[in-house]
Amino acid sequence: MVDVVGVTYRVGGPNGLRILNDVTARFDACKFNVILGPNGAGKSTLLKVATGLLQPSAGAVRYGDRPVAAFRADELARTRAVLSQHVELAFPLPVEDVVLMGRYPHYRSAPTSRDRDIVSRSLELVGMTDKRRQAYPTLSGGEQQKVQLARVLAQIWNLDDAHEHKYLFLDEPTTSLDVHYQLHLLDVARDLLAHNCTVVAVLHDLNVAFQYGQHIFVIDGGKLAYETSRASDISAELIERVFRVRATRIGDGADGQGTWRFSL
Amino acid sequence: MRRLSYRQTYVLLAALLAVLLVASAAIGAFSFTPAEMVRHLGVAAGWLPATSADALSRNVFLELRLPRVLLAGLTGAVLGVSGTLMQGLFRNPIVEPGLAGTSAGAALGAALVFVFGGSTALSFTAPLGSIAVPVLAFVGAFAATMLVYRLSTSFGKVNVFTLLLAGIAVNAVCGAGTGFLSYVARDPQARNITFWNLGTFTTADWHGVMLVAVFFALCFAWSMRYGKALNALMLGEDEAAFLGVDSRKLIFRLLVVNTIMVSVATAMVGVIAFVGLIVPHVLRILKSSDYTFLLPGSALLGALLMELVDIVARIIIPPAELPIGIITAVIGAPIFLWILLRQQPQRGTGASIDSGAGAGFYG
Repeated sequence: MVDVVGVTYRVGGPNGLRILNDVTARFDACKFNVILGPNGAGKSTLLKVATGLLQPSAGAVRYGDRPVAAFRADELARTRAVLSQHVELAFPLPVEDVVLMGRYPHYRSAPTSRDRDIVSRSLELVGMTDKRRQAYPTLSGGEQQKVQLARVLAQIWNLDDAHEHKYLFLDEPTTSLDVHYQLHLLDVARDLLAHNCTVVAVLHDLNVAFQYGQHIFVIDGGKLAYETSRASDISAELIERVFRVRATRIGDGADGQGTWRFSL
Repeated sequence: MRRLSYRQTYVLLAALLAVLLVASAAIGAFSFTPAEMVRHLGVAAGWLPATSADALSRNVFLELRLPRVLLAGLTGAVLGVSGTLMQGLFRNPIVEPGLAGTSAGAALGAALVFVFGGSTALSFTAPLGSIAVPVLAFVGAFAATMLVYRLSTSFGKVNVFTLLLAGIAVNAVCGAGTGFLSYVARDPQARNITFWNLGTFTTADWHGVMLVAVFFALCFAWSMRYGKALNALMLGEDEAAFLGVDSRKLIFRLLVVNTIMVSVATAMVGVIAFVGLIVPHVLRILKSSDYTFLLPGSALLGALLMELVDIVARIIIPPAELPIGIITAVIGAPIFLWILLRQQPQRGTGASIDSGAGAGFYG
């Protein structure tokens, strides 16, 4: 579980603008947690604070009962991984070298055979085995994102020894992906839940969010506006207020939560 | 070369380097046969009795040729590794110590000691003795590099156009300072402005070889620990942080390491531009952009290239010698322009090339 307790994040000094204002959120262990909110609400900042990348101006983040600030950098990197929206590479490397970076926190000077094995199994999981020697920049956007997914999977590889708890953070990971890649990526992430891994994702597509999210947090104006563990609880009024769109639920879908249609 | 493993590539480069070292030791105004070289080395090591017949030849070989060959190789290794480090830190294939002001700052610092070393203005350097030159070279190089780095970085991203412009400005200021110092200098050696601006190995001695060797070995060993971190930095600073790399610490430490070895080498041989640009570039095309490979690879290829350049410098206009920097510029400037032009289409709206600059390039 990731506990965000009373987190305030300011930019520009002690009296600066509050991007996050006293946010308390508990991301459940081994659940698919989703953060929603309009642009500029502070979603990504909340995610960056939760990953330990940004230090909050006030409040704390705990993984289990351990403050994230108490982790050593390499130890934290073996515990949690982050998949960003779009990662460019400054120089071309073959796909398998990019995935191997996920193992960097695990070895000193040379990768062990286990590291190599995890790299090939990660590539297999995302279906990129046949492109492992191809240069990363020559891949399509969707393929690049699959490689990044393989990299973060390798970083917190938990499929053999699930006794250690791992955390996967996704920061709008599907923005540049077509619908097939989107669902594939989120499915792979969801499969990790069975392997002692907690997933926290910032998503933009509300329908996708409601489909995958087991615990949904709505952020608005730097504050937690709403949270629920049942997507069907989300009301049209809430969506209209937070996202400033008209929302209608259409159909009921096989999963009983229906699909939303939005208009201005 | 793509098919070779990293280790096989090192062996190949090392073998070529060994051949060039022997060739470089043999060729010149005084040429030596392999048998002569072995005999001189044997005498120097005390295994063979000294004969007065070839005392002159031995002296030339041991006191002039050998230090020169070794200093050239070491300097090449320093500049190659430095180019690799700087390109990794700036995430751009166009950076190298000559362009980023590091070498020019070092030359200015060193020239200060050469010209004013004995005067009261710089009397604080007296206790430093013979290392005053590299120490002040380091101060100058560090100040110049940090200035260029700060000017070209905003919000953690490097703007390569600002970087090049800042490099031009800092190089101009340092060059003017060094030029002024050589103009007012009394010592004829310090007056030799081509020494500072174009680099030469004619003044090589064992003291210089030892100094560069020790600092190169330490700095190279230290930087080898950061191969993985430099790779991770290719993803950007945030992604590197998620992999446990503290980019700020990394950048500061590697700039210090880089500045130390470049300033020591520059204090001995002057400014030699473009080697740091060419060496990683060639290795990326031939083999890989993986820094765990590029660091040792660029030490070997840097040494190799510098031996080659030094041989050319000695034989192209006998009996005179060409300054090293002329040859490296002739080879390096076109490569520099080529890289710059290849970067154009990726510039987007024109403001900045940040990460991704070297991507679509080698492959």
